[in-house]
Amino acid sequence: MNRKELLLQHSAWMSETDSPVVISSRVRLARNLDDFPFPHGLNSEGAAQVEKTVAQVLVDNEGNNVDLIYIPLTELNTIEQQVLVEKHLISPSLGGSTGARGVALAPDHRYAVMVNEEDHLRIQVLLPGNQLLESHRLATALDDRLEAKLDFAYRESQGYLTSCPTNVGTGLRASVMVHLPGLVITKQVQQVLGAVTRLGLAVRGLYGEGSQAFGHIYQISNQITLGKSEEDILSHLDAVTGQIVEHELQARDLLRQQTPVLLEDKVWRARGTLQNARLLSSEDAMHLLSHDRLGTDMGLLPKTKDCFATLIVDTRPGCLQYILDRELDPGQRDQERARLVRERIA
Amino acid sequence: MLCQHCKQKEAIMQFFITENGKTREVHLCEACAKNTQEVSFVFHPAIVPEFLQALFGFNAPTKDQPAEMTCPKCGISFSQITQVGKLGCSTCYETFEKQLEPLLRRVHGGGQNVGKIPARRGADLRNRLEQRKLKEKLQALIQQEAFEEAAVVRDQIRKFEQSKGGEKSES
Repeated sequence: MNRKELLLQHSAWMSETDSPVVISSRVRLARNLDDFPFPHGLNSEGAAQVEKTVAQVLVDNEGNNVDLIYIPLTELNTIEQQVLVEKHLISPSLGGSTGARGVALAPDHRYAVMVNEEDHLRIQVLLPGNQLLESHRLATALDDRLEAKLDFAYRESQGYLTSCPTNVGTGLRASVMVHLPGLVITKQVQQVLGAVTRLGLAVRGLYGEGSQAFGHIYQISNQITLGKSEEDILSHLDAVTGQIVEHELQARDLLRQQTPVLLEDKVWRARGTLQNARLLSSEDAMHLLSHDRLGTDMGLLPKTKDCFATLIVDTRPGCLQYILDRELDPGQRDQERARLVRERIA
Repeated sequence: MLCQHCKQKEAIMQFFITENGKTREVHLCEACAKNTQEVSFVFHPAIVPEFLQALFGFNAPTKDQPAEMTCPKCGISFSQITQVGKLGCSTCYETFEKQLEPLLRRVHGGGQNVGKIPARRGADLRNRLEQRKLKEKLQALIQQEAFEEAAVVRDQIRKFEQSKGGEKSES
């Protein structure tokens, strides 16, 4: 598999599941090598040394079935880095920084381990639907394998030591990506997510852009990492996610019962626009795709060839240019995005 | 406490806002928190360092103050940590344990690590915890006068000590 094929690979987390609200689950473990300063304090030699040490262990698949391919970010151009950010495989800050850093990817993108981000290692597992426990199981197994060969910074009282004290302890950040058009349309989303934040969880938009949640997609994650076990953190997030799903489904029922024609109009209008538009901005595409997905989820629209998450990601500026293999100005992007959506939603 | 904005409803949210290097504490009710431009319920990672600076509750030392303690491994001082919102290395956690304690309590609500223990590097710790658990069990059994079961646990502890070379029980 060459680099282009690897980057263009359909990411496991984008696959369709029977979960109508939870798009994907992610677990991330922050780990640091005891012998080196944290990444922001490393000079270029130190960063290169950490990268070399860690990358060697990551790609060594002896005695296990996880194949990882290490990609140094210094070898990627801006669009390739953007593709990884848009597919949620690396953080925007890893893409935006300089120096020795990279990501180890599984061919199906189930694993994405960032090297020299805020911590030396950020072990990530991304799976479709609500699979928090399975994601954690896989991340822990990989962590065990790495720990057999690397000395991770750890203290009895504070657990795994991280560059930012908000991650210390378990180093675990678990999150779910949820699609909440029903709560947005019925204007209950602030109320429900406000309650979620009071339960010690954080809420962000899909790509973390301020308060705007494009495509009605939100990420819910734990904030506390110390003083709670991994099991407690995961079960709390899982329980709250269950509540969010319930509220979203109730909102959808409410729309179906009280404003059925408005609902049908909204989803069919979205499908019509997606099938016929000649220009589509990134935000327009996300908004319309969200309504289209609501329609297919509720059995009001026939299913499309490509699933929602794939379309959302492939219509982002970086992915779009990478798929078409050329740089496009914003006007051209809107035209090509409309063409791509027309082809895939036919 | 009443909301500092509308002064009518009970404040349920507490915010630390840093402006021009000064941090103030604001208490708001749910409605005002939602409406105000200052805060949003949506969490944005870029603001973390600012919030951390506020949480540290630490003012950078002036020139007249004596030189600060620095981490023996990476050389960073606590005021530098508060400026970037990140620690320099793993040893900083030990060096600045006292200064970090209130911050960790505010962020995580207090409490010691109860999460995963690394298999290889944490082997000693695992053994100690296992021994501690057995000793607690032994004490409980003795108090209940369940001497036969206590003898079994005592033998387990002895076996454990012999095989792992762990803590010696006080006899």
